[in-house]
Amino acid sequence: MVERSQKEVWRLTPWLVLVLLLGNFILMAFSAKDITSGQRLIRVWGLTVADFVQSPVATISSGVTNYFRSIANLRSAQDENTDLKQKVEELQLELKAKEGLTAENERLKNLLDLKDQSKYKVLTARIIGRDPSLWFDSAVINQGSLNGVKLNMPVVANGGLVGRVTAVSPLTAQIDLLTRDKSGVGAVIGQVGTSNALGVVMGTSKNGLLEMKYVPGTTDVQVGQSVFTTGQDGIYPAGLKVGDIFDAKSYGSSQPYQILIQPAASLDSIQEVGVLLYEPPPTVPFDQKVSTPTKEKKK
Amino acid sequence: MEQVKLTVALIIAVLLQWTLRNIAEPLVYVDFVLIVVVYAALQRNSLRAILFGTFSGLAVDALSGGLLGANGFTKTLIAYIVSEIARRVYMDNLLLRIPVIAGACFLDNILFYGMHRLLGQDMSGDLWINISYALIGTTVVGTAIYIFFDSFLSEKASNRKRDMFPARRHSRRRNPIRLGK
Repeated sequence: MVERSQKEVWRLTPWLVLVLLLGNFILMAFSAKDITSGQRLIRVWGLTVADFVQSPVATISSGVTNYFRSIANLRSAQDENTDLKQKVEELQLELKAKEGLTAENERLKNLLDLKDQSKYKVLTARIIGRDPSLWFDSAVINQGSLNGVKLNMPVVANGGLVGRVTAVSPLTAQIDLLTRDKSGVGAVIGQVGTSNALGVVMGTSKNGLLEMKYVPGTTDVQVGQSVFTTGQDGIYPAGLKVGDIFDAKSYGSSQPYQILIQPAASLDSIQEVGVLLYEPPPTVPFDQKVSTPTKEKKK
Repeated sequence: MEQVKLTVALIIAVLLQWTLRNIAEPLVYVDFVLIVVVYAALQRNSLRAILFGTFSGLAVDALSGGLLGANGFTKTLIAYIVSEIARRVYMDNLLLRIPVIAGACFLDNILFYGMHRLLGQDMSGDLWINISYALIGTTVVGTAIYIFFDSFLSEKASNRKRDMFPARRHSRRRNPIRLGK
């Protein structure tokens, strides 16, 4: 009797495997279809459940790490103290000079009637988890839709772009880091409006560096120049710093440059990020933009 | 009882996979879920192994930036292949399990990469570098985990424990009335 049931199990198993593989494949196909637009419900559930595990683990691990780091820092504190005292004196001199410049700046601003205003609200968030797969660079933050986070909102850290929000649950959100190959950012070398060295920044597999593509060979590109977003990709606002040019290879004026960029934010070690509560202006779908000639003829 | 222990081990593996990369980046090269799925498959219970593979794979996919179902697909297939091999070949020796976990890790990563490329997805990282690191990390940690599992989880271990510390045998008290006979 036991032998027979075991045989039945063995006969059943290949069919079950086929069904499960097919189910997974269908899931993958759907996932591949809508990965750029909407977000999947199972991912939202996963993020919500994972928050109860990841948040305490992140808190404990960062506490332990900070404790050991503070012990290590004590060793070099004496030397640093001497250096810092010297620097403080130098900075005090600089500060006095700059105070004068600030006052002058204020005066001129008042003269021109300009007001300081921050363009976007920033929501501070802590990274509580990283992608469990070695093939992708995403992270989970501890702010979700309850805090106003929405899909595709840009994420920044240390004055540089980090990535964008790709899934939102009520308590957490998933962000895709810039280093991920798929993420393309419309960017320009130098300030927006003053430069025509436009291109697309994408992730590479080279030590957290980014690659800028399609920059025409006729433009002047120098190592160390800063790269900023153009806002033309419909996701990121214009003027956010992406990074600095690390390496630029020219293949003549007829071919585009091969440019490597060091991200402004150190993407491997970020712990805190800011979510820009920015929503891009709505875009008209392509098929609505172009009217078909047959319809026009009928009219 | 063994089933409960393995299920708990699988849940812990999923939680570790979710959290450990945040603590130390190199730990992403250790596939804890695959280690437990392969161990379950080596126990010759193919039905349990493939269900473990599917559900744990989907749990990892839920938090990953990759395609949903990719890990579910690869781990289900690997669980089935390993359990079929284990049904035909005696694999209770630890030394034989090392190439099995290494092969499973290699196949898992190749399949995962292949499925993503097939469906037009770009992935970060160099294929062979990632696979090499994953192979080393998963095989080394997997072997250590299998030693631990064999000492604490398997029936063999409990049998061995029973042999080493047998229950005290109480001699039957003889009937005092019949002592004289």
